[in-house]
Amino acid sequence: MRSARLRMLVLYLGLVVFALLWLVPVMTAFMTSIRPLDEIRGGWWNFDGATFTLDNYARAWDQGLSSFVLNTFVITLGSVAVTVAAGALATYAFIHLTFRFQRLWFFLLITTMIVPIQLILIPLLPWFRTLGLDQGAMQFVGIILVHTGFGAGWAVFMLSSFFREVPKEMLEAGQIDGAGHWAQFRRLVLPLAMPGLVSFAIIDFIFVWNDLLLALTLLQRDFQPIQVGLANLQSPHLAQQDLVSAGAILAILPPLVLFAALNRYYVRGLFAGGTKG
Amino acid sequence: MTDTTERSDRTLPAEGVGGDGDGRRLAYLFISPLLVAFVLFYLWPALNTLVGSLFRWSLLSPWNIARPDTWDFVGVQNYVDTLTSGRFWNAVVNTLIWLVVFPVMVTVMSMLVSILIWQVPRGGALFRTAFILPMTISLAAAGVIWTFMYDPDFGVLTRFVEWAGLGFAVDWGPLTFQTADWLSNPGVIDLGFTQIRFVNLSLIVAGFWAFTGFGVITFTAGLTAVPDELVEAAKVDGARTGQMIRHILIPQLRGPMTIVATISVIFALRTFDVVWVITQGGPAQDSEVLAVLLWKQAFVFLDSPQAGLATAVAIIMSVVLIGGAWPYLRGMTRVAR
Repeated sequence: MRSARLRMLVLYLGLVVFALLWLVPVMTAFMTSIRPLDEIRGGWWNFDGATFTLDNYARAWDQGLSSFVLNTFVITLGSVAVTVAAGALATYAFIHLTFRFQRLWFFLLITTMIVPIQLILIPLLPWFRTLGLDQGAMQFVGIILVHTGFGAGWAVFMLSSFFREVPKEMLEAGQIDGAGHWAQFRRLVLPLAMPGLVSFAIIDFIFVWNDLLLALTLLQRDFQPIQVGLANLQSPHLAQQDLVSAGAILAILPPLVLFAALNRYYVRGLFAGGTKG
Repeated sequence: MTDTTERSDRTLPAEGVGGDGDGRRLAYLFISPLLVAFVLFYLWPALNTLVGSLFRWSLLSPWNIARPDTWDFVGVQNYVDTLTSGRFWNAVVNTLIWLVVFPVMVTVMSMLVSILIWQVPRGGALFRTAFILPMTISLAAAGVIWTFMYDPDFGVLTRFVEWAGLGFAVDWGPLTFQTADWLSNPGVIDLGFTQIRFVNLSLIVAGFWAFTGFGVITFTAGLTAVPDELVEAAKVDGARTGQMIRHILIPQLRGPMTIVATISVIFALRTFDVVWVITQGGPAQDSEVLAVLLWKQAFVFLDSPQAGLATAVAIIMSVVLIGGAWPYLRGMTRVAR
């Protein structure tokens, strides 16, 4: 009995140590962001006469962070909306309809989950110029469509596992009532697969929000999202950890809030993506 | 698909999907929004990369399929140049370090943590959250955060090593190592024909920190599928924890292990963000991985016509990934059908 209790104690101790270790980096960024730069030089864990302030955030916000955040929201919300809508339609067709080259299309889509994005990266810039997507707000349209194209495989793969859970009997009953495929899609499949759609939307949101490579490559300065802003601010030769840490925390926050609020959907979606493979 | 055909033949001939014109047109209405984006912004650029790798060009004067005056056909020369370039092989070595170390670290750590959590009666979700949380953090932000951790003046790691008196430096023949300068000069193993540079490990730790949560999620799913009877029977037989892990859990976790290892190999081969934000491939080219080399060739060395070389690197990376992940890919296609 005593040894069992001791074992539990050791287990919990080990877990607490690991979990704390895992939280140190985030703690570092957070503490750096809410204290003046000269105090940080003494180590953020040093709380002698510590001052806590939001001043770093205010200055970072004024120095361009505001437009980075706005751009990120435009790109992310746009990409998620288009990908989820187009992905749900396409998934319905893949599961409930037949069409030519169905297997080939499916294979090509799934392949995008493996292939590195570098495969499409280099010709995209001249291609944007040809299509007129390299100027002004059209850049947003361009990158949203690239995110849709790149997320297409994930969308079909994840959504199909949720769409298939809709009981076949319900669909058959619907068809006897004379509902067409469009009505079935809207009235039956969409509502029943809503948890799946939410799961995918969250995962896609976090993916697009966190993208650095596409935005860094395709967008001009005034249209870049916060990840690119972070990458450009980050430089070992400039002592501006106060601003950079504030930017990092703001870049982390929206996905984190979403994750905290809808944790269950997120993990469920990853299960669908992970275990089905 | 057969049951769909029967069903609609019976009820809705106008929207039958047995391959007649109407059904197919309807199907294309459903898939076309996604496919248009996919074809225009994925397949077409991918095709351009493939064909463009046979030409000499730069982004200032890009190769264009519609304009023959931009064609400077060089055949497989880009591949020959790539495969004979020292800088390419330097990037290959650095990528290989990622490919070997990263999946091992992620798999071992996440399995260990998941098994520990599995054994405690309470608070499992809370512990799991500590590991899953960094997964939602962008790799760019993770890079920034780890630059703070490694900072030579006030980084947590640097100060901790000082405080605990763990600082040391070794110089044994081909091996040099020091517990300082994590990002500029932590040490190297000189193998003669190539060098294993420890700065890559500093970067891998950042990726590892961010990615372990994926493994924890996957292994947790695997552990909930372990039959209770199996565990109970082992306990009745008086199996010790170590025996139970070795003989019952690990065999049961083979599936999740494959998934975590495969996904982290894919992650390692494509890695860009962490390296770009923390070192940009430096010092010199010590941490330059393939994705970073390719990006520099295409978008930094704009004046020299290296975009063709960059597309060749992209094709090589894709071929390796598709080849390596082929069984996995087949599995996904089969399951999802």
